[in-house]
Amino acid sequence: MFYRLSGTYHTSYAADRKLWKIPTDRWLVIALLVLALLAPLYVSPLYLGSYVLPWVIWSAAALSLTLLMGLAGQLHFGFAAVMAIGAYASIHLVRAGVPFELSLLLSGLISAVIGAVFGGAALRVKGLYLVMATLAMQYLVDWVVVNVPAISGGAHATLRTPAVSFLFLPVESLAARYWLALAWAVLLTVFFMNVKRTSFGRALVAIRDKDFAAAVIGVDPFKTKLMAFFTSSFMGGVTGAILAFCFYRAVTPEQFGFNVSIQLVAMVLVGGLGSVIGSWLGAGFVLLAPIFLTNLVSSLAASGWVPVSQNFLSHLPLMIYGAMIIGFLLLEPLGLAKIYDNIRKYFLVWPFRHARS
Amino acid sequence: MTFLRKLALTTALVAGLSAPVAAEDVKFGLLQDFTAVYTFVTGQYNQGQQDYLALANAEGVLGQGNSVTAIVRDTGNQPQRGIEAYNRAKEEGAVLFDFLSTPVSAAILDQAQADKNVVITPAHGRGDASDGTVFPYVFPMMPTYWAQAAALIEHMKNNGGLEGKKIAIVHIDSPFGREPGPILEALSEQEKFEFQAFPYASPGNEQSAAWSEVRRYRPDYVLIWGAGGGQAVSVKTAIQNGIRPEQIHSVIWLAETDAANVGPAMKGVKRFEATASGTDHPIIQRIQEKVIDAGKGSGEAANVGTSYYNLGVATMAVAVEAARLGLEGGQPLTGEGLKAGFEKIAGFDAEGLMPAVTYTAEDHQGGGAGRVSEWDGEKWVPVSDWHAAYPDLIRQVIEESAAKYAAEH
Repeated sequence: MFYRLSGTYHTSYAADRKLWKIPTDRWLVIALLVLALLAPLYVSPLYLGSYVLPWVIWSAAALSLTLLMGLAGQLHFGFAAVMAIGAYASIHLVRAGVPFELSLLLSGLISAVIGAVFGGAALRVKGLYLVMATLAMQYLVDWVVVNVPAISGGAHATLRTPAVSFLFLPVESLAARYWLALAWAVLLTVFFMNVKRTSFGRALVAIRDKDFAAAVIGVDPFKTKLMAFFTSSFMGGVTGAILAFCFYRAVTPEQFGFNVSIQLVAMVLVGGLGSVIGSWLGAGFVLLAPIFLTNLVSSLAASGWVPVSQNFLSHLPLMIYGAMIIGFLLLEPLGLAKIYDNIRKYFLVWPFRHARS
Repeated sequence: MTFLRKLALTTALVAGLSAPVAAEDVKFGLLQDFTAVYTFVTGQYNQGQQDYLALANAEGVLGQGNSVTAIVRDTGNQPQRGIEAYNRAKEEGAVLFDFLSTPVSAAILDQAQADKNVVITPAHGRGDASDGTVFPYVFPMMPTYWAQAAALIEHMKNNGGLEGKKIAIVHIDSPFGREPGPILEALSEQEKFEFQAFPYASPGNEQSAAWSEVRRYRPDYVLIWGAGGGQAVSVKTAIQNGIRPEQIHSVIWLAETDAANVGPAMKGVKRFEATASGTDHPIIQRIQEKVIDAGKGSGEAANVGTSYYNLGVATMAVAVEAARLGLEGGQPLTGEGLKAGFEKIAGFDAEGLMPAVTYTAEDHQGGGAGRVSEWDGEKWVPVSDWHAAYPDLIRQVIEESAAKYAAEH
């Protein structure tokens, strides 16, 4: 009833291959896009700057990672290092006088090349062994950033981003930074949805499901895996640059530590592997749930509801957060995306009981 | 028209009359890391801060019915959570912020400068922020890592001499661990000693490789430069490698919990301190009496008087003094007013809890005085007087680094 199918007939292949075949889906997406575009007009700077903006950027990061982990099935536990390469490369390029637009692309390319080199390990190892190889990347990049003053910026290891403009618009005000980040996240989203329908996307899925079976049907595992690492690292590198210029505006090594890699993996897993909406929901959950819970528990404490010590008070949100992750994954092992899908399917045929996807 | 004019006049009159009468609630944002990396210090430090603020309110330090409130939030050492907490506390009206986290402070420094809000970075953060002409709204307040290194070197000089001696600096492999480097370099020429750095990987749970090299180097003195659990490991591994405890000199981050972890072997280890430890101080005793015994304490009573607790008390004692001075004119306290209040502080020593500090528009470190204390098996006993070591050298390093920062931005 809510996702009405009656009267919707696909009479051509093009119509049948549309991204959103059901009009309700289409209208929902358009409405969300309009809401997102107008966000600076109706969201207060507090929420725009500390909730919506990081959510948009981390969604782009989760999308980049889920291309590799969800579509191609290659585990990556060092993705923050890929973003670090992008962030540092873009800052140093802009400081060297390269235009911002170009340095975004170049920083993506640099991350892609370095990421693909490390991804080369993936050609020989799989599963947990690949996790080890990517962890090595995380620690190597961290070490290089901290130990090469030319990269990290010397004694205090803090690099401020220079003032830049994107297509003649200065990336200075909160709204401008938000729109740039949103544009990148939307671009990645559209790319991701389309890549699933290309031969490259299908090759990735074939590799994920069984790489030697894929080789038998003519997909070159060597090339495809490298391409997966290259593409995903490119997306991650540019996202790192966007994160540096639009959100942090100062880069320190700690912003891209091992814990950030784990957070990214958590976003992808909690959201649902290989899913677009899952990346958005997962990023939102992992990034914002601790903040909401901290504020909720603090305000409850301030009003005298939870009379406990500061130390316990600080750990309480983490306990609730951990319980929520376990709860969600027990309820639906395929992640938040699957929960949304279940709801949608329920309403697709409501008030009847069975859906045909 | 006359009615309107009358209305406007009355409103102005009422507003003008009521403004000075209204008591103000000054808000401090203590947005710290209670759950991730800085847990070794934050619990006790924040407890000291909150307890001192409770004491200040009970005693009416700010006068005229003014009070001070702490906004306390956990940031988990994550910059994005720090940014959220900062923006929220800013909306709630906080004028002073203490993040006690290097990455969070770094991410917010520029925004706080633009918002004209005071950020205090006691015993952490960038040392060159002591130059108030480049960082007008950042107050390191206490001796920077550079001043701490200089104080420890000076102590070695006065107790055994430096000429021809060898110093091993064993540090965590991070920007923080490398802070004393430039000071050692400058002083090694001046005082004619040699030194060598031995880094160990973060977080420092395992340091045997570094220390077996230290053993081969046969140093006369050892400087340990780490924080948290790694510090106890440093002391233990040093002793296993034949270093005597008396040779070991530590950065400020070595406290009672570390001594408990090391055990009796710790006796004789020295560290830098910026505030006195123990409960034998007027402020701490009044906190015990008016806050803890009154059941208004913010944590375990056993923590009162520990090194980090007293450090927290001292930071808030200075901040409340700055707020008091900033409020003197009777106007509401803004970040600008608080900064001016800080710069009016002269010779303030929190009734002997800390060395007398004086802040000026140029010097936001407050002179950089501290002292060295030694673990006697039960508590930290001071072995030098409050004073600043090599102040000219420290000032020069601060100014050079700040000038470099100013030139780059």
